[in-house]
Order: sequence, then structure tokens, then C-alpha cells
Amino acid sequence: MRRAAPAVLLVAGLAATMAAGADFTKYHNAAELTAFLQEAVKAHADISRLVEIGKSREGRPIWAVEIANPRGAPVESRPALLIAANFEGDQVIGSEIALFIVDYLLNGYAANPEIRQRLDSSAVYVVPRVNPDGAELMFSPVKTGRKTNSAPFDDDNDGRIDEDGPEDLNNDGVITVMRVKDPRGDYMIHPDDPRLMKKADAQRGEAGAYRIYWEGIDNDRDGFINEDGPGGVDLNRNFQHKYPYYSPDAGRHMVSEPESRALMDYVIGHRNIAMILTFGESDNLITAVGRRGELGPASTIDLLAFAQQSTAEARTVGVFQISPGFGRGFRGGGPGGEEAGPMGRGQQPAARGQQARRPAETVNTEDIEYFRTISDRYRALTGLRSAPAVRIPAGAFFEYGYYQFGVPAFSTPGWGLPASPRGEGEGARMPQRPAEAQPPAGVQAAARRGLGAAPAGATAAEPGAAAGGGEFDLRLLRWMDAEKIDGFVPWTPFKHPTLGEVEIGGFRPYACSNPPAARIAELGKTHGDFVLYLTSLFARVSIAETSVANLGGGLFRIKAEIANTGYLPTATAHGVASRSVKPTMVQIDIAPERIVSGDAKTVFFQALAGSGRRQKYEWIVRGKPGETVNLKAVSQKGGSDSVAVTLR
Amino acid sequence: MRIDGIMRKSAAYLLGAALTAVLAPGASGQKASDPQFKVKLDFNRWHDCDELKADLLRLEKAFPKFLKYSSIGKSYEGRDIMLMTINNPDTGPESSKAAMYIEANVHGNEIQGAEICLYTIWYLMENYGRIDNITRLVDERVFYIVPTVNPDGRQYFMSAGTSGGRSGHVPVDDDNDGLFDEDDVDDLNGNGVIEQVIKYVPGQGTHRKSAADPRILEPAPAGKPGDYVLLGTEGIDNDGDGRINEDPPGGYDPNRNFASDWQPNYIQGGSMDYPFQLPEARAVNDFLLAHPNIAGVQSYHNNGGMILRGPGAEWMGEYPASDAQVYDELGRNGERILPFYRYLVIWSGLYTVHGGFIDWTNDGLGILSFSNELWNTGQYFTSPELKEQQRNPESPINPRVSSFFFDDYLEFGDEFNEWKEFDHPVYGKVEIGGWKKYQGRIQPRFMSEEVCHRNMAFSLYQADEMPQMAAGEATVESLGAGVYRVRVDFTNKKLIPTILAKAAQNNVVRPDLLTAGGRNVEVLSAAWVRDKIRPGPTQLIDQPDPARIIVRNGHPGRSTRTIEYIVRGSGEMTVTYSSVKGGTATKTVTLK
Repeated sequence: MRRAAPAVLLVAGLAATMAAGADFTKYHNAAELTAFLQEAVKAHADISRLVEIGKSREGRPIWAVEIANPRGAPVESRPALLIAANFEGDQVIGSEIALFIVDYLLNGYAANPEIRQRLDSSAVYVVPRVNPDGAELMFSPVKTGRKTNSAPFDDDNDGRIDEDGPEDLNNDGVITVMRVKDPRGDYMIHPDDPRLMKKADAQRGEAGAYRIYWEGIDNDRDGFINEDGPGGVDLNRNFQHKYPYYSPDAGRHMVSEPESRALMDYVIGHRNIAMILTFGESDNLITAVGRRGELGPASTIDLLAFAQQSTAEARTVGVFQISPGFGRGFRGGGPGGEEAGPMGRGQQPAARGQQARRPAETVNTEDIEYFRTISDRYRALTGLRSAPAVRIPAGAFFEYGYYQFGVPAFSTPGWGLPASPRGEGEGARMPQRPAEAQPPAGVQAAARRGLGAAPAGATAAEPGAAAGGGEFDLRLLRWMDAEKIDGFVPWTPFKHPTLGEVEIGGFRPYACSNPPAARIAELGKTHGDFVLYLTSLFARVSIAETSVANLGGGLFRIKAEIANTGYLPTATAHGVASRSVKPTMVQIDIAPERIVSGDAKTVFFQALAGSGRRQKYEWIVRGKPGETVNLKAVSQKGGSDSVAVTLR
Repeated sequence: MRIDGIMRKSAAYLLGAALTAVLAPGASGQKASDPQFKVKLDFNRWHDCDELKADLLRLEKAFPKFLKYSSIGKSYEGRDIMLMTINNPDTGPESSKAAMYIEANVHGNEIQGAEICLYTIWYLMENYGRIDNITRLVDERVFYIVPTVNPDGRQYFMSAGTSGGRSGHVPVDDDNDGLFDEDDVDDLNGNGVIEQVIKYVPGQGTHRKSAADPRILEPAPAGKPGDYVLLGTEGIDNDGDGRINEDPPGGYDPNRNFASDWQPNYIQGGSMDYPFQLPEARAVNDFLLAHPNIAGVQSYHNNGGMILRGPGAEWMGEYPASDAQVYDELGRNGERILPFYRYLVIWSGLYTVHGGFIDWTNDGLGILSFSNELWNTGQYFTSPELKEQQRNPESPINPRVSSFFFDDYLEFGDEFNEWKEFDHPVYGKVEIGGWKKYQGRIQPRFMSEEVCHRNMAFSLYQADEMPQMAAGEATVESLGAGVYRVRVDFTNKKLIPTILAKAAQNNVVRPDLLTAGGRNVEVLSAAWVRDKIRPGPTQLIDQPDPARIIVRNGHPGRSTRTIEYIVRGSGEMTVTYSSVKGGTATKTVTLK
């Protein structure tokens, strides 16, 4: 459905990208973000809509910008790219890149034929800030770097909610960490940089000399500092794939939050979404998935993980073991005895031996090359080689996007560090690494408490990451030093009310999860180019060829060939295996009883590869010469087509 | 053993009833030999949603002090999800007492649990003040009763004449054609029943009519052609796509939309896109989250005669031993209360379920939960002699044919429609007939009251075993210089602990809190007493605040613990054991 190009605007390019409100030299708070979106959409009402898909816990709007030229095929029938960002409250750069992309597409439509072609035939949905409450803390007087939304949650399950948050003890406007000299501590000064800490290794004869805590006091006097601060749920741990059950920062259950539910309802209401790009603290673009479809390794900022570790046992206080003879029970029988439980009584084990089917956890073999090809292009377009701190996703939205929604889905932090001296992550196609067993959910839960003040990468040792050596910290610090980024607060002495003499310092909140604002425009531009590339990849279903033969006696033989001229298949292999992508429907618009032979009135194919692959159908129908019969092909992710054939 | 206790209790029930009858015949205005009930309800017929509501309102009107009718939310089609709360306000607000939540009919066609719910409310109210144990139960506990979680499904089942309708009515495009719920079954012959369609094709079919009984359609023996093909349920191609009945209302399993071990559709069919997406599941969960005092769950299903507990899937692992032990005792007594029912674990005894309701209530909410699969066709013929006869393949009550015998002689043919010829718009000359919707999954109406009573009795037994904290003996001993040793016993005399081990693992129930203090009291230390009688060391509690002790794994069932405080001060000191699911117990002592 090509349309005549609208008159080319005289003002194009840079001038257009500098529309009112579009200041990409700074991070935007909620009000500024809303103002920007409203103005942008107002200025381009012919190709965009602003939809409030829900509200945050604190009542801030969650916006979706729908960008498409509505003339032509109905937008909801076209393949669409969903961009979503800022799930983690401290990952605001993703939001800014998403805003830049909105600006790039809206202002580029008039002059850039590529953008025009994409928006005429497909759609781009942008949800720039999934967690507006969390993001807003970047603009608060005291910066905590909190990841979570504002759900009240009793993180340590002690019967008191959000009772022990951080305090800015030294009044420097940021929550960092405290180190305390203590021979019982697990940590020592890092030999390569005295600003950093590492875990003392007994096997090397290293003695522990420090304890490490989050900056704050023990408000509820339970022996833990900042174990239950304001905020509740890390939204990128609240979705359905590999959900970290019963972790305090993962919510009461999957999709428990108004923000995650708003996004889910939006997504399942837009089944034409054929690809998903998220910005967040996991990555499968800078480092492509491996040859077995697995993600690259995580990296941990140890200093933050050490502070986090200080609260890890808060959720186990008060578990009493009942020693023999303790309590004067009047329980009869006792365990076991003559009557074992239901499993032991030889009752029909209906399901015993029956293997329950397990959900996929790696990219389907048939889909891997698509993922890797797209990652290659991502690196070429953005120049990014090495990710900042990233974590192993558990309950992340982009994983839902592939493993349950069935479309190619990506996550990137949106920025990078210089390649590591050892070439880690370089060249990006990950060398094969041994499959790593995930620790049980409980262990992960304890390891990743998302307490109030956990900035980026505040996770205890991820599987596969070196435990406590401070290596990634060192890389970050060297990068900050080289770029002259004020990202590390020097240690300064402080007299703590309960701990005595401490030092307060460490990584500045947001500095590890966001690049300097000066880089936003450049990152926005390269990601805009990547979005243009992504939108060129959709499956494109068409009825490529039809023919009619008159068999005499009022009978006609109709043949049709359905083609996919796009790059992607009409459904990923996993989309087919998981039945999450609808099969493509081919239908002949004629009463079923008039089909004398051949295919059924309504037929389906599961998937058709792209680059011109075809699928054939034929029917012998009863009709009159000169009569027209409509054929249509409807693909959920690859658009639709219809033709009228004339019986002759 | 426990069963003795039960029997003693039964004797006490009988005695109590006899005493009431003999000594106090006029106490409730009763003249005849049996009580005159205040509200007459039918337990020999099935109620549609409006009738259920009308009966609930009648009960509420008759017992306004105890009953409160409300709605916990709306179904997709806008029907109320009805709730009856039973609480005696004289014994405290709802939140102060352990509550039993009983629901039914989450599967639209599994209707008879609603009548059990109705019966339970009715029985508790009519016998309050008449049977001591019922009076005590109503005084000590709260009951939340939701007769139908899926009113849309129930109404469809009651009105549509089909035995299908497990789903709720959120539209799903079952056949992927972009249209929703556009091709349901149709009552072609207008007799109010959706029947089976078969076609006579001599020598070309897969089935044949039994020589002994032409109502019975049996598969043709191996190697021999049959005379009939089965053409599915009664209906036409409503949407003109060449297929019949391929997209009826809904198209999912409303009991796979809960948040424990929830799995996507390809692992667990019918689970929808995310947990609590369905308005009914969400309303139930919101209600449960808002009522943490709920300590027991029963969710009635049909059928097969089972008392089910989780886990629903093998990969979730068996329950912690202490939980399993409690479940086992309840389940084994349940088998005695409910003959023909077997106590089973869902995954090993029935089939694997991901995202089922009682897995969520146990694992995610820390509530001891059962799901009874009501009714077992083994109950058609119950005596050992008849069971023996059923082993004979030629017997008219052999299980293969017993439902026909039962229908002929006990229901007078009410449940089966003979095969009748019909001119089908697509298939031409066919025969239509077969079982009606109530047969098989649902007990015959005349047997319903016993199903109601026995299942209720099991739930009341469960409700009675919910945790219940009480304070016992307390001692104060002066250690000189204004310092005292204070010891208080706390007992949970019921079987179920205040916090299940699984709930403690998952940290989903607020821990029990043991608090101590007084206007003039400083708590110096706290310790568990290992043995109150013999002197010996105590188990000091290593928590920063001895006046507020977190007991994360709760108080076990049928046990007493003694807490010891060393305190300085004078005057009154109050010790409180507070649990969310077992109530609060308090003891006040005087330091002297």
C-alpha cells in the first residue's frame, strides 16, 4: 500500500531534531519526559499517538508513543517493533535513547525515505519509561540509585514495612557505602587500587580487615543496616520467564505490579508486535547469544555486592530449630509410623515416570542465526563492544518477549565501556562457555536483594563471575578516571552512631548504570539507525501469484502462492514450538459447500521463512464466469494481503 | 491415636445432641422430635446463579448477626462473585480469628461444590446453639464461602444444555481465525440438550451399537469395520469456515491462572498470558491477600473422589516433611470421613498441574489447602456384595455398563436420550442422542445431601485443626535487686502450625511476634525453655530486641513452648504471642 510521498519539508535534519523540549544533553525527569512526548506527538499528530497505558504506584503516567502513518493498512495489522526502557529505576539512559528514537522517527519522517517507508508499512511502539517512580529518584535531592518501583514491601519480612531505608549520613547528596575496620570482616583493600575492596581469600593467606555496609543507620535496631528501605519491586524481575519466585525484589508474584501489568496488557493487546527491543541491565546485543542460544556472562560490581551482602541474612532471623525434647508436644504417632504419606502407599502414581515438559531456556537452534546476525549489525551500527555491568536476567521482560510471546526480543544497556584489556566481550560473538547451572531460586533471592539503595550491578556474585575479586570494579574505575567522570566518591571518615569510626565513599549512584549526559545524542543516533535496521527485517506476507483455470461445467481451479519477502520468518521457531505466534491464515471467501475439491476454505501454515520463500494452495470451486472470488492471507507478525481473482 | 480422638468426639456429638433433645426440647422453640429449621433449602436440585444468590440472601436475612453477603468482584460477563462471610462478632473481629476459605466451581461445569457451600452455611447456622461443637467452631473461627468462582461458566452450564464449559468466558480465538467464540455448539433438535452426533455408515465406521444394549456405542473390534462414525457434539458451522463447533465460549483453564509454578500455554495448556489475568482469579487473589487470617482452603472440583493436595508438579519437589505430616493426618482422616475418596498428591495421583489454585495458596500464601474432587461413580453400588458382582464382565452392573443400569432402575431413564434420527445440515441423515449433562461428573440428585454433608464435615474438621494460640501457665520468680525470671507457656493445641514450613521458606507469611513489656519493665533477655520440669540450660534467643522476638517459622501444631524472660522492673508485665493465622494470645503477670 504505497502512498505518494508527502511534500518534503524544507526544514529537515538537525533543525527538526531540535524541536521544542528536545534537549538531549540532559536526563529528563517525569514532568519533562511527559512534556517532551506531548509536544512531540502534538507536532506530529498525523503519524503518532500518545497513549497512557497505565499509572505507576505513585500515580505517574506510563506512556506509549505509537508511531505509524495511519493511512493504508490498519496499523494493528502491520508488523510492529516495541521499544521499552527504564524498567530498572537506575537505568535512565535507556529512557533517553528511547526519547531520542521517538524524536528521530517523528522528525525524520518527512525527509528520510527510509523512515517514511517503515512508518508507512509498519509501526513502532515506544514505552520510554516503564518505572517512572524509580527513575524519578535520579532527580531527587538525595540520590539512592534505587532500582525498584514504589510498592511498599516488607523486604525482610519482620512485620514492618520499609522501616529501614538509607540515610545520607555525610550530607553529600548520594547514598554510597560504608567501610569499617573490623578483623572479623570479610574484605580487604584492593591491592591494585586502594579505593576499591576485594574479598579476602583465606587460601592465599589474606586476612579480612573490613566490613562493608550501605550508608545509613539501623533504624529498626534489628542488627541490619538498610535491609528494608522504601520501594518494592524490580520490574525487570517481575515477568514470567525464569521468574525468581519469592525474592523480595521480585514482587509477590509474576506481573504483580501496576507497571508490569500495564505493559503486559499493552503487549497482549498488540499481537502485531513482531520484535521487541528493551533497554535494561541485561544484554544480548553487545554480546550475542552463543552457539547454543545462551546469554553471555554477567558482570558484578563487587563493592555494591559486598554492601548488599551485609543484609542477606535479615530474612532468616528467627528460624528456630526445635531440639529434641523441646516443647511438650502431645502429637500422637509422630512422623512415619505405620502410615506413610500418600506417596508411600502404593496409590496409583498417575504421573510418575511421565516427564513434564520443561520450558525452553535457550534460544531455539533455528532462531540463533537471526539473533546473531542482528547482534552483529547492532555492534557495527553502535560501535559498542563491551557492556557495563549486566546481570543474568530472571523475570526480565525481554525474555518474556522471546520465550513466551515468541518474537525476536533484545536487551541492551544502550551504552558501553571501552573493550577490556583482555578483550573480554570483544568481537562479541561469545566463545562457548560451559553451561552454568542456575543456583536455586532461594540462593538467587538472597544474592540479589533489591533493597532500597541497590544501584546498578548491586548483585552478589553471579554464577560464572569471579567471586569478589573486584575485577569489574577496577575496569569501571579506570574508565571513569580516563573519561574524567566523577563517578567515585572518595572515602571520607565519619563517626557513625553505632559502628563508630567508618569511612563513607564508593561508586556514585547512577554513575555505573548511565553514561554522562553528553553522550545521549550520539547513542540516540546510533540506536535510531539500529531501529531503522530492525524495522527493515519484518516478515512480509503477500499473495504473490494467483491463477484461475476453467474446468468447464461451472468448475474452476484456483491456485495461489503466498510469499514472505521479508527477512524474518512469519514465526520464529520458538514462536511455533511455544504456539505463541498464530499460524498464518489463508482463506478463500466462498461458501464451504462450493469448494468441490482441494484445500479447505480456511487453511493455516505455521511458519514461512523469509527472503522470498513460498507456500502453495489450490481449490476447485463451483462458480460463474466473471464472478470474483477474494483470497486473503493474514499473518500475525508479517502483515496481511488480499486479492480478488476473477473466474474466467 | 488420632482416630480415637475423633471417635470420642463423635460420641460427644451424639451425647450432646441427645441431651439437647431430652433436656431442652423447648430451648429453640422446638416441639417435634427433630429441629424445625429456619430456612428451607433444596439439596436435591442444582441452582443457577440467581437462585444461589437468592438462597444466600435468605440465609443472611435469617441469620443477620453471623452472616454477611457481599461480592468479591465481577466475572468477565459482569456477574457477582458471591461471598458469604460467617463470623460471630461477639467473639472478635474477623481478622483476630483463623479463617477457613471454601470455594467451588472454578471450572464452569463442576457445579455441585456450590451446593456444598450452601449446605455448609445452612448447617452451621441452623445448628449454632444446638450442637456444641458447631457452636464452638462458629465462635472460634471465621468462614469465607464463595459458592461459584466462575459464575459465567456456571450460568452457561446451567442454561446451555452441554456438559462442556470448563472455561470461563473471557473470549479466546481458539481456531486462530481472528474471530472470538464465534462457533459454539447448537441445539439442533431443540430438545434442550446438546447431544452426540453419529452417522450410520455400514461397514465403513469405527464404532458399532452394542448387541446387548443399542444405547451403548462401542469401538469396533480390532480388524473389523464398524457401522457408525462419531461426528462430535451437536452443532453447525456458525461462521461458515467449513468447521463445526471449533470456537466455543472461552477456551482456557481458569484453574491454571494462578501464580505458583505458572507456565506458559505450551507447557500448561489454558494458562493464559500471565497469572491473575482472568478477572475471577484476580478477584479471588485480591481477597485472599486482603485476608491474611485465612489459614485453610478448600476448593471443590469434580470428579473422581479425591482429597487432593499439592504439589501440582513433580519438579516443585515434595513438601517439607513437617508440612507433609500435617497434611497426611488430615488427609487420612478425610478418607474416613469421605468413603470412596482417596487422599492424593495432585501430580502423582491425578495429573500434572502448573499454576493451579491450591499450589498458589499453599506456596504463595502459606495456607493449608485441599481440593476435593467430588463424586465417584463407584458410589453407585456400594456394598461389598455389589462390588464383587461388578467384577463379573457379564454383570449388568459391571462398570462398563453400570451407569445404564443405574439410570434405568434408579433414575428411571432421566439421564439418557435414546439415539434418534435427524437431518443434519452438513452431515445429512444422522442420529442424535446420548447422556445428558448432569450424568457422570455430578452425583444423582437424590444422593446429593450426603455428598454435601460429608464434604462439609471434612472441611469443618480441617477448620477445627487450624492453628489456635493460647497462653498457659505463667510463673514469676524474683532473682533479687528488682530482677525477675518470668516464664509463660504458649500452646497451639491444634494440628496445623501457625506457619507452614513452606511458608516460612518462602517468607510469605508475616512471622509470629513474641512481644513483652510493661510500663515499668525492661526486658534483659529472652530464651526458650528446653524443659520446664527439669532444670537445665535454656536456648537464649540471639535477636537484638528481646522485647520483640521474630518467630519466623511459627509455632508447631499440638505443642507448648515456654518462653523465659529475664526482666528488671516492677508492676504488670504483658507477654503477647501474635500470629497472623492462629490468632493472638496474651498473658499478664505481676512482678513481685
